[in-house]
Amino acid sequence: MLTKRQNLMEVLKGGNPDRFVNQYEFMDLIMEAPMDLPLAPAPGTRVKNKWGITFDWPADQIGSFPMHDDEHKALKDITDWKNQVKAPAIETSEEAWAAAVAHANSVDRNDKFVTAFCAPGIFEMTHHLMSMEDALMALYEEPEAMKELIDYVVEYELAYAKEYLKHIQPDALFHHDDWGSQISTFISPAMFDEFILPAYKKVYGYWKANGVELIIHHSDSYAATLVPEMIEMGVDIWQGVMTTNNVPELIKKYGGQITFMGDIDSGRVDFPGWTREKIYEDAKKACEECGKLYFIPNLSQGLNISSFPGVYEATSEVIDQLSKEMF
Amino acid sequence: MSKIEEVKAKVEAGKSKLVPGLVQEALDEGNTPGEVLQAMVDSMSVVGDKFSAGDIFVPEMLIAAKAMSKGVEVLKPLMAGDGSASLGTCIIGTVAGDLHDIGKNLVSMMIESAGFDMIDLGVDVPADTFVQAVKDNTNVKLVACSGLLTTTMPALKEAVATVKAACPDVKVIVGGAPVTPEYAAEVGADGYAPDAGSAAVKAKELATA
Repeated sequence: MLTKRQNLMEVLKGGNPDRFVNQYEFMDLIMEAPMDLPLAPAPGTRVKNKWGITFDWPADQIGSFPMHDDEHKALKDITDWKNQVKAPAIETSEEAWAAAVAHANSVDRNDKFVTAFCAPGIFEMTHHLMSMEDALMALYEEPEAMKELIDYVVEYELAYAKEYLKHIQPDALFHHDDWGSQISTFISPAMFDEFILPAYKKVYGYWKANGVELIIHHSDSYAATLVPEMIEMGVDIWQGVMTTNNVPELIKKYGGQITFMGDIDSGRVDFPGWTREKIYEDAKKACEECGKLYFIPNLSQGLNISSFPGVYEATSEVIDQLSKEMF
Repeated sequence: MSKIEEVKAKVEAGKSKLVPGLVQEALDEGNTPGEVLQAMVDSMSVVGDKFSAGDIFVPEMLIAAKAMSKGVEVLKPLMAGDGSASLGTCIIGTVAGDLHDIGKNLVSMMIESAGFDMIDLGVDVPADTFVQAVKDNTNVKLVACSGLLTTTMPALKEAVATVKAACPDVKVIVGGAPVTPEYAAEVGADGYAPDAGSAAVKAKELATA
């Protein structure tokens, strides 16, 4: 039996996997790394992070949201971003990284990839700072200022990557950045090429140039039209790919250059009245249509969790069952 | 190209700095405020169609809507009290338990661009608040309810039922990622739209039926 790592590589390279890669099993995410995660930590909390972005998680909701009313919007005028945006300092001390190092040292790297985690993404950071509407309009109205802001976020990410690489030497990077809604990308591929692609070529290029073997990019959205860009920037696995992308078609077109992880939409199976039968139905369809190569069955959620208790675990059980049925 | 044609072209291209001046020039050429407004509404209809077809994206729609609103600012003093220019009032909000506002904001912009006066109740709006807003405002023709989460679909259903029970003459339109035409019909909504461009078309259709 192949290790989780070996099995994943067989899927990526078009070899002979002996089962489906089961969701996030190949990643050991080092969440102890000292990154200033932007989100409110639990229902009923509100935090202002070190970028000055306020996140609110109301008690009855399933996630947190950046606040963009006049009082809370961190960046009110893109042309004045140099005065209004200040990146937090990157932690460099051994002490700050100790818990992450201990976790990484405990991982059997023959079995799993020690995986760095990075969120929010570069595009997400722009709209967290200034609201989606302002950020998208600024791409047209103040393109130079937006490019400067994006460069600034890139420099921050590179400084974080440098410390990460120094302390942990991860095998993989799991990086978030949602680039679309369920049915469309937020911006055109041409605009993406102008603003976002160059930023990611720098960031992903840096991680890879320094020994990171795999780049896994999360976008639980439609983004089929951006797959060529993903390949160009160095993404090995697109995690969160939703059914609206026609994943079997993408595999036919791009398999061998990139692997698709998802095709089980969290929105369809992860809700209070979830059932194992419904998960099985969606997972079976995904596995049958997408096949055994260049595909990893997975909920579209951007971490190894679900919104409602038991869904992630039940999905893993279902995928194990499908491996037995189909391999 | 006539000035009114230029207004149309520049609204569609999202040139918000140029549109106010062109609107004034179109008025100076002898066009009535109503004609200039209609030209901009027509432009936004083209923008909505292109968005629905996937030919343009959210930024293009946003800057076009902004350009139109700059043009409307020039017309407003000339059209004050001229109710004939409005298709009526539309109350919009994201239903209780749901904080997503981006899609709702886009729909609001596009319905406004089609000629409605908008009352935006924001997000996490209880069903009764929609009803109260209908009562508190004049000439309400439409209530637009948005929901992005599978988990808030029951709240969407409740909002539609509550509004329809309390205000039978008001049309209700629904939308959001998990909403389907079948679901919209099942919960008793008068209309459904899959995106912001189609929402404006459907809103106009419902209000003028």
